[in-house]
Parts: sequence; structure tokens; C-alpha cells
Amino acid sequence: MDTQKLAAIDRLLSRVEKPARYIGGEMNTQVKPRGKDTAAFAFCFPDTYEVAMSHLGLKILYDILNRQPDMLCERVMMPWHDMADHLRREDIPLFSLETRTALHEFDLVGFTLQYEMSFTNILEMLSLGGIALRGDERGQDEPIVIAGGPCAFNPEPLSAFIDCFVIGDAETAIVEVTRCVKQLRLAGAARVDILYALLQIEGCYVPSLYEASYHEDGTLQGFAPLREGVPATVRKRIEMDLDEASFPESIPVPYTEIVHDRISLEIMRGCTRGCRFCQAGMLYRPVRERSPEKLLALAEKLVAATGYEEISLSSLSSGDYGQLAELVRGLMDRFAKDRVSVSLPSMRVDSLVKQTLEETRAVKKSGLTLAPEAATQRLRDVINKGVTEQDILRSVSDAFQSGWSNVKLYFMIGLPTETDEDLEAFADLARLVTGAYFAVPREQRAPGLRVTMSAATFVPKPLTPFQWAAQDALPEIKRKQALLRTALRPVKGVQFNWHEPELSVLEACVARGDRRMGEVIYAAWQRGCRLDGWREHFKFDVWLEAFAACGLDPDFYAARERGERELLPWDFIDAGVTRQYLWLERERAMAGTVTPDCRDGCEGCGLRRFDGVCVP
Amino acid sequence: MKMIAVFSLKDRLKHIGHLDLMRAMQRALRRSGLPVSYSQGFNPHILLSFAAPLSVGMEGEREVMEVPLSAPVSPEEFIRRINEALPPLVRCLSARQVEDSHPAPMSQLGAAQFDITPRESAEALLAAVPGFLAQESIPAMRKSKKGMVPVDLRPLIYNLRVQGGRLEALLALHPSGTCKPDLMMQALSEFAGLPEPALYDICRTALLTERFAPLEDA
Repeated sequence: MDTQKLAAIDRLLSRVEKPARYIGGEMNTQVKPRGKDTAAFAFCFPDTYEVAMSHLGLKILYDILNRQPDMLCERVMMPWHDMADHLRREDIPLFSLETRTALHEFDLVGFTLQYEMSFTNILEMLSLGGIALRGDERGQDEPIVIAGGPCAFNPEPLSAFIDCFVIGDAETAIVEVTRCVKQLRLAGAARVDILYALLQIEGCYVPSLYEASYHEDGTLQGFAPLREGVPATVRKRIEMDLDEASFPESIPVPYTEIVHDRISLEIMRGCTRGCRFCQAGMLYRPVRERSPEKLLALAEKLVAATGYEEISLSSLSSGDYGQLAELVRGLMDRFAKDRVSVSLPSMRVDSLVKQTLEETRAVKKSGLTLAPEAATQRLRDVINKGVTEQDILRSVSDAFQSGWSNVKLYFMIGLPTETDEDLEAFADLARLVTGAYFAVPREQRAPGLRVTMSAATFVPKPLTPFQWAAQDALPEIKRKQALLRTALRPVKGVQFNWHEPELSVLEACVARGDRRMGEVIYAAWQRGCRLDGWREHFKFDVWLEAFAACGLDPDFYAARERGERELLPWDFIDAGVTRQYLWLERERAMAGTVTPDCRDGCEGCGLRRFDGVCVP
Repeated sequence: MKMIAVFSLKDRLKHIGHLDLMRAMQRALRRSGLPVSYSQGFNPHILLSFAAPLSVGMEGEREVMEVPLSAPVSPEEFIRRINEALPPLVRCLSARQVEDSHPAPMSQLGAAQFDITPRESAEALLAAVPGFLAQESIPAMRKSKKGMVPVDLRPLIYNLRVQGGRLEALLALHPSGTCKPDLMMQALSEFAGLPEPALYDICRTALLTERFAPLEDA
């Protein structure tokens, strides 16, 4: 960027909200020199700095790319609306935090797809970064735009804008992709040839090499490669051994406050519980654990490099980690004297160990969060949340006896087969929970009972047993929320939270969208939609306009039950779990039959087709 | 014992807030392994106090902080170890060891010195200085907990002079009266007849006692 523009950035920073989002230069960030042969990768997070810097995947891949002698990686995030408008007005391209390099000057631009409602931000960032929005409009010298992350498992809504998707674990794949792109760019290869070469890398999907066709009723008719040598299915990448997989020993330490401002230690990837609504549980199979020795060594280095005062053990279900007690004790023994606390988020209610609770409380007091997801046993069986009322009550009783008075319970409404009886049961469960608190003698319990019950709207996701399910239509969601508000109002000590249902409806549309959904996203962005995940920026009416302009109906995507034989837009992705198994699980759900944790015996989900997976 | 340390904060880091700086300094102290002291309670944090918060957008050339220590460390070692742990744009320049009973730097504050470089309308602003100072009073509105309150800036501007293309200001910074540089620049812009307050770059160059001695020596 020329000096005039750099000076303009400096002036801009005095005028925007939270300028620390844009300054870079945090401890442990990397500024590498860029030679002619260096592959320059812009890691793009399509949300604000505070969200981006809380994301572990960014830190893992940033570290991996910067460790390669022939690569560099810099961070680019979605600017807040004030900054975005200033950049556009003053004709300053969106830039990287490290060296203020314009987005379009990188060799590769890689987006991580964590949330469907950040997709308009991707268009906004490409536009601000001076990159043609559509893959087929990009010139020879423009970056190759790639994307990965959980939402890449249904890549179709972004297929027009992303040159290549990387499906699955990216630790190894991202280096292969980056090296391939740089070598071919140095050799002067045409874009189409670079994309064709990427296709040879396992996990890579190049949408421009496929074609989709539709039935009259709007459902998918066919999906096929456009030329020979292009595989009909794309299989996800798996890092088999987490001890071998790269994990950072040093991570950037932001100046400004972020959402999760702590060391996040990934103790395990994958989950075998088989909750039927949970996309992550299906996508991240098989379960792989990092060894306690490896984790202790990583923690040692990370604490020394960052000065962080908290380590959070991260996984989909930390309570299932094989040696949790040993690990927590090891971390406590080592770090208590340095006043580093250990926290355990995302504990399943049934895996809570009272002892573990007490150990974490030894260093830092935090609240207890449980996710029963549904209030009746019948519905919990439908979704395969293998948790009983007894489990829930035992967990909260333990927590109350151990000195907690603050409990959060997460639920979903609109789950398949849900009736009003399931909703009315919320109040019964709430009374049992508050009863467990008052059952503890006054002098033993912490004062100030606060039970927060949050009800999210169920969003059916691809590659889950509920991928065929209809989401409740908007008026029905609103009716159910009102019913819950009324039912919970008389329960003392309970606060009820709910989410904006319109956002969940759109999330459902985009999550199971096809290629035509890309045009809706584009139309919404063109009409000014961005930062949709932020309540103050979410414009549902504008999204509806965008649907209308594209001749598409949100209900078709969100509120429609799919048939067993319908071709789904993401069917060509082999995520490990087979479509047959998902359908079987759907049938079991409808029958209210529970499927046990597959650690106790293979359920045949399909992962075993991958070499070396799930072999004891 | 405690350490009274002088540090600078430069360049892009002027955009971070006071609490951000506090956190960054605490984490640097943790990385340094220096024998710091912790607060009591469930969420213990490193004891550390800055003499005066630095506003967002302002560089600091000689900021002052006080760090209580749980074991003796020489000033040289303190400086070396904290600088190894600090981000490059924050530097510890000097340190002085004092007894626990030594008054906190914050309690000794009297004034601060600023370097102000106008980004626009520099000539008009600089030319207006003599007339600006010749006024008997400079009324302004200051934000307080009770809302906007009137304040006379004139007695709080101890000195204001043109130095090259810049302004050097010596302003009161005391519980009984403080002149924030942005209030003064607003008043000066108005006096110079500018339609809007001028934009400028600013650096706090020194923190001083009531008798204008360097605060770190007090």
C-alpha cells in the first residue's frame, strides 16, 4: 500500500470505534519478510476481531503457516461497519493487521466458515479487499480464494465466490494447498490449471468444476463433475494423531478484550455421543485425544509465552476425555502457584465429576453450564441426548453443594416431534433445579440463586440425522417462545432467555442451501446486509427482499421436510458418517430409540471406511 | 518494597485503552517471572498502578507506574526482565526502588506536559496562541459524573508555546483541577476561528509534580 494510504489508515484509526481491533502488533504475532518465492496467505475471519481472536482454529493455522520457511500468514478480519464505510469512502483496501498489506496482494485468501450468518461478511471483505466477488470473474493475478471450517461441509451456498474449499481437518491440507498454489503461480500457471491441481489434494473441492441441475419443484436433480478426472465425491481430511498434529506453543495475546481471552487447549477432537441434532458431533468424528503429557508440555510453553491467567480445556465434550482427572490435577499441581486457573467448558451433564468440579473451583470460581437440550425424557431420547432428569439434578445438586449458585441450562425448541407437553415440562424441570438449591442447608449454599434457562431455536443442519427435517415456521417458533415465557414466569430464581427466531430461520436456509442460495446471499449483501450475526445489523426484511428478487422461498429451504430419496446439495461430500447411517438414526429418532455411545461398541456410522480410524 | 518505573508507549499502541494497557502490562509482568504481588480474592490479579491513565489516541513518552514486589530485585534487573517480556512498542526506560511506605506516584501528580502536532490548520492554530493565552478566562464545558459542568481552562494552562510546527503544553493534572488537552485544543480551535476542532497528533511527554519536578523522582 502506498504511504499516502498508510497515513490515511492511521488517521482513520483515531475516528473509529475500538481502534485496537485494527492495529496488529500484539505479543506473539508474526511479521515475516516477503520474498518473491514466499507464499503469502491472508487468514480471513468473517467476523469482528473479538470473535476472530477467540477462535482456536485461527491460532492453529496461523502458527502452522508461519512455521513454514517458504510461507507467511497474516490476519484479516471483518471491520465493524464504521471502519468498513470509512475504507470504502476513502478508497483504502481492506488490509492485514500485521503489515497493512491490501487483501488483493496476497497469493491466497482463506476464509474460515464457522457460522452461516457470517457469509455476507465474506462478500463484504472480498469487496473491500479489492477482489472480484465471483470466482469466474477473478483475473490471473488475483488471489486464490479458499475456505474451510465446519460450514464448508455444505459449500454450495458459497460456490460462486470461493475457488476451492478444504473439507475437514486443515493442519496438513492447508500447507499442501498453499505450496501448490504458490508453485503454480510462480510457474505462471492459469487459474483453471491451479484449481485443477488443487483437486488432486485430498479434501479439496473446486466448485467451478461441477454442475448442478434442478427439478421443476426446485429440488436438486443432478450434481456432477464437468470434466474427466474430477472426482464425483470429495472426502474430508482427517488428522489421525492429535499428538502428531501441530498445535501452537505460542499464541497472539490481544490488547483489547476479546470473547475468550485465555489459552484454549484442545484436549480432544470429535465426539461419540451421537446427539442427533449436533453437526459438530458428526463432522469431527472420529474421537481423537491428545495425551496428558503432550497437553502439560503445551500448557507450560503457552503460559510462559503469553502470561495468560487461564487455561480452558476445549473439546466437544471435555467430560469424556479419558484421563480428565489426571490432566486437571496435573495442570493444577503445575500452575496453581502461578495463579493460572483451569476451566472446563462444554461439559455434558452426565460426565460431570464432582471431584473435577471441586478441583477447578480450587483456583477460580465460575458458573456451571449444562445443556439438557430438551425438558422431557421422551424428547431427549428422540435427539439421543443420553441424559436423564436424575443426571441433571445430580449435577446441579453437586454444584449447589460445592458452593455454586449460578447455573445455566441450555435448551432447544422446535426439535422434531416436539409437542406443547415437552415445552410445558420446562417449568417442571426449572422447579426441580431450584428445589435442589433450596434443599442445600442455607449455611452451606452460596447466596443468590440464579438459574438461566436459554432456549435456542433448532436449526436442522447438513450431515446430521435431522438433515431431512423441517424447521418450525416463524409463527410457530414465536408461539412456542411465548408459551415458554408464560410457563417460566412464575418460577422464582429462573431467568428465561431466547434467541431472535428470524436469525435462526435464515441460518436454516443458508445451512441447507444449494447453489441458488449464493444468489440470495449476494442480493442481500448488495442491499446492504452485513454483520448479520449482530442483532443491531440484522435486517430480516432485506433478506426477504433478496429471496424474492431471486425468485426463491425461504420456507423451501427451512420449513420443508425432505424425502428419503431427495438428492441433497451436500451429498457429494463424504464426511465419514454415511447417508445410510444418518437415515437409520433419523428412523430411530422418530421411534424414540436411543443409540449408545459408540465407544462401547461400533454402531457402523461409516468412519471405519477411512484407513486407521476407530481401530482399537 | 515497590518499583516506580518509567515507560514509553508508542506508535500504533496509542490506540489501546487504559484497561488494555493495564492487562498488557500485567501479562508482561507474568511472562517476565518478576516477583510481583497479587490481590486477594477469587480472581487474584497483579497489583500495579499507573500514575495517570493515558487517553486513547495518545502516545506516552515518560509514563509512570508503581509495581509492588514480593522480593527484592535491582532496578537494572527489573528493567531488563520486563523489557524482554513487553511488546516492542512499550519500553521500560528507568526504575527506582522505594519502600512500601513511599507515597504513590498518583498522589504526587500536579501537571503533565504534551507535544501536540496539528494535522490541519497548523498555521492558524499556532498564530492564535499569544491571543489565546492573553485571555483572562477560557470558559469550557467539562464532562463529569454529574453531566457537563463549566470550567475555566485559563488557570489550568500553565504554559503553551509554539515550538517548530508543534505546540508544547504544560497543563494541570490534579484532583483540584485538570485541563485535558482535547478541551484546550477545542478552545484554541474556536479562538482561531476554525469551523471545527482541528485534528492533531499528541504525545504526553512528561508527568510532573505540583512543583514541576519529574514525577518518578518524587
